Amino acid sequence: MDPNYPTRRYFLFAGKKIRKNLSGASESNISDAIPNQTYLKKRTKLRRLQMADDGSASNRRDPIKSSVGNVAGQRRRQQAVTVAKERRESLVRAKRLCRVGTNGGDDEDAFVENEMMIDEEQPVLEAQTVKAVEELKSAVQSQGKGVMQKRVTALRELRRLLSKSEFPPIDAALSAGAIPLLVQCLSFGSPDEQLLESAWCLTNIAAGKPEETKALLPALPLLVAHLGEKSSAPVAEQCAWAIGNVAGEGEELRNVLLSQGALPPLARMIFPDKGSTVRTAAWALSNLIKGPESKAAAQLVRVDGIVDAILRHLKKTDEEIATEIAWIVVYLSALSDIATSMLLKGGILQLLVERLATSDSLQLLIPVLRSLGNFVSVDPKAMLTILVGGQNTEENIINVLAKCLRSEHRVLKKEAAWVLSNIAAGSIEHKRMIHSSEAMPLLLRLLSTSPFDIKKEVAYVLGNLCVESAEGGDARPRIIQEHLVSIVSGGCLRGFIDLVRSPDIEAARLGLQFIELVLRGMPNGEGSKLVEGEDGIDAMERFQFHENEELRVMANSLVDKYFGEDYGIDE
Amino acid sequence: MAMGMAVGELGFPYWNPLRRRFPPDSPFFASGNVERELLAKQVALDFTEDEITNLQTIVETESRRISCPIVGCPERLKSLDNFEDHYKTRHTASCSVCSRVYPTSRLLSIHISEAHDSFFQAKVARGYDMYECLVEGCGLKFKSYKARHRHLIDKHKFPTTFEFFKRTQLSKKRREKLQRQRVPKLKHEEDKEEASSDAMEVEDKASLDGLVSALSTLTTSDTTPSNVSFGRRHGRGLTFVPRSVHREKPTNSSSTPGSKT
Repeated sequence: MDPNYPTRRYFLFAGKKIRKNLSGASESNISDAIPNQTYLKKRTKLRRLQMADDGSASNRRDPIKSSVGNVAGQRRRQQAVTVAKERRESLVRAKRLCRVGTNGGDDEDAFVENEMMIDEEQPVLEAQTVKAVEELKSAVQSQGKGVMQKRVTALRELRRLLSKSEFPPIDAALSAGAIPLLVQCLSFGSPDEQLLESAWCLTNIAAGKPEETKALLPALPLLVAHLGEKSSAPVAEQCAWAIGNVAGEGEELRNVLLSQGALPPLARMIFPDKGSTVRTAAWALSNLIKGPESKAAAQLVRVDGIVDAILRHLKKTDEEIATEIAWIVVYLSALSDIATSMLLKGGILQLLVERLATSDSLQLLIPVLRSLGNFVSVDPKAMLTILVGGQNTEENIINVLAKCLRSEHRVLKKEAAWVLSNIAAGSIEHKRMIHSSEAMPLLLRLLSTSPFDIKKEVAYVLGNLCVESAEGGDARPRIIQEHLVSIVSGGCLRGFIDLVRSPDIEAARLGLQFIELVLRGMPNGEGSKLVEGEDGIDAMERFQFHENEELRVMANSLVDKYFGEDYGIDE
Repeated sequence: MAMGMAVGELGFPYWNPLRRRFPPDSPFFASGNVERELLAKQVALDFTEDEITNLQTIVETESRRISCPIVGCPERLKSLDNFEDHYKTRHTASCSVCSRVYPTSRLLSIHISEAHDSFFQAKVARGYDMYECLVEGCGLKFKSYKARHRHLIDKHKFPTTFEFFKRTQLSKKRREKLQRQRVPKLKHEEDKEEASSDAMEVEDKASLDGLVSALSTLTTSDTTPSNVSFGRRHGRGLTFVPRSVHREKPTNSSSTPGSKT
């Protein structure tokens, strides 16, 4: 179980087409970007979709309600902001609340106006939920005519209550005994509507706290069964969604799902070319294989035709599906050597590069970049030998990484630098390629200006460029003077000395190591003067009595060797 | 700190370019992971112009529907995709004997073997491992329904309350009949019957006649249902326990005078 889980983890996942330009949205609060009135209107539309059950459609809003609505809207905004903040603090947030079902607008409550929903107080919501569960219970137990319709109606009511607010009354539903009833409603041969509504309820229950997700255990075999090829597509998709939420909860539940045979049918669901089912299934699958144990990834790669399907989607499919597929590739490339080599042979590097070059969607770029990083980190030499068309592809990789360095998004800059650092740890040819590419000026600038985590990665790149990869164990790695000189004259020394001052041990170590290179490798002994000029001596002397022994020894040995008694007049 | 210590001894860790690899759950990737979910969350708050248009289209097309051409099926579907979906699920994946619908071909064929196949029952009676594990890819088989059930719970972590092939509620008459049959039996035989009727839960409507007539020469009253109805099976009804199951019972059962096993 993940110790860092926050207490609330609700997602709003509309299941609709994603807007492609989310510029800067990741850095700021969600609702700060949207003026209050617009926000309010859009929230109302969302509610409209999922709520109404009769046919009355009215497109005008009552003016009186909108003023009351403003207050409610502000409250919701605050809730959203709070939740957003909580989200930022968590690690992986892997579950998605289903607010609009997999039928999209297909069922009768699509696009029908209802009065604007003012946030019910939580206790009222909970009371309604308990009542709904009671209704469901009686509907399930009764027999005779019209029992099917009764069940669907009861399910639908429960589903609505579970889809409404930011904080669905999951606990109330569970205490009232919803799960066994929902399991019964999943039995084979039930009408599709019943299956769908039941799976939807389970989906949203699973999107809650860990113990709430665990409550789905009795339902899992049936959910897995309904992934079958003979299931109706919306039903299969909704079950996949529920399973995705359960898988996203933690490793224990993932193992249960795997031992119940969830993986093969889920994998087969991504074979079609398009459709929301493919997307949901791919997302659920990515949750299922994320590990850190590798057995799920290993099982996936054994599914016949899966590698082809993955390559096919990466090549052609729309960005939404490609995004989820890319996450699958992230985990496969991190956890399965077999998958890695199969994908490389299938030409995945070129596909990743093309996506990076052509897409602007941060959602897609993150997993694609990370996959590339995983492949490169395996063995850049292998990367070389497998590439078809040699030179061009490698240059393309570097150019596309430069594009990421130029991005405004922090994650892209950091992870792109990481990938470059691994390429720079490779052969001399790779180092030369990077050094002569458009990435160089970007890296130098980033070293001085970027936030700390990016700075550290950039430091790795620059340092790796200046040193040949060591052959023997105790040989001192050779400096590539040409690169060192050009990088230092590009003004990077200050940045490295700043790292020496940072509290991060790893960063300080990097800084000191680079200083050593400068001191040793710059021609004509210029190194010492340069280091001194950037207050390097001062930075190193701060380690004289530092608690970390290694750093202390490193700094002191440098000072002793290069700034000893016979150094200039200033000593 | 010693004056004599020179760089060049093993003391100083020189810069050595190394590839760095991180596992997927490494904190290194944490910020990217959070971005993933934050973005998914933001999505729900906005609707594009396209979506609004799509929704309007949906409303307009609602009135045009396709009726399912299969005789006896009352469904009216909203679109060709929906119709294909409906056809696939309702009319290709169902059991021809009892009309039950299953989500995979494999489960359907397991159901048919276990519920309608007398050959299957014969092999079971002879001690062969016939009950397949329900999890795809496992491959194990078992001698009894209960044994397989236990395997599912132990090996595949199915919940103990799990029942795929659920025993349905019998009608009152049927329950009374079974009650009368059970009385003269010994306990272990009763268990056996329960085990097999667990697996059976067949509800027979349209094909009932056919099956009954084929077996009528062998049986007497209790295989003739007290009420017969036709049409697709959806709700409760009769639980028909076919002859093949009765064969497991000992011959002193009052229900099988003069029958051969």
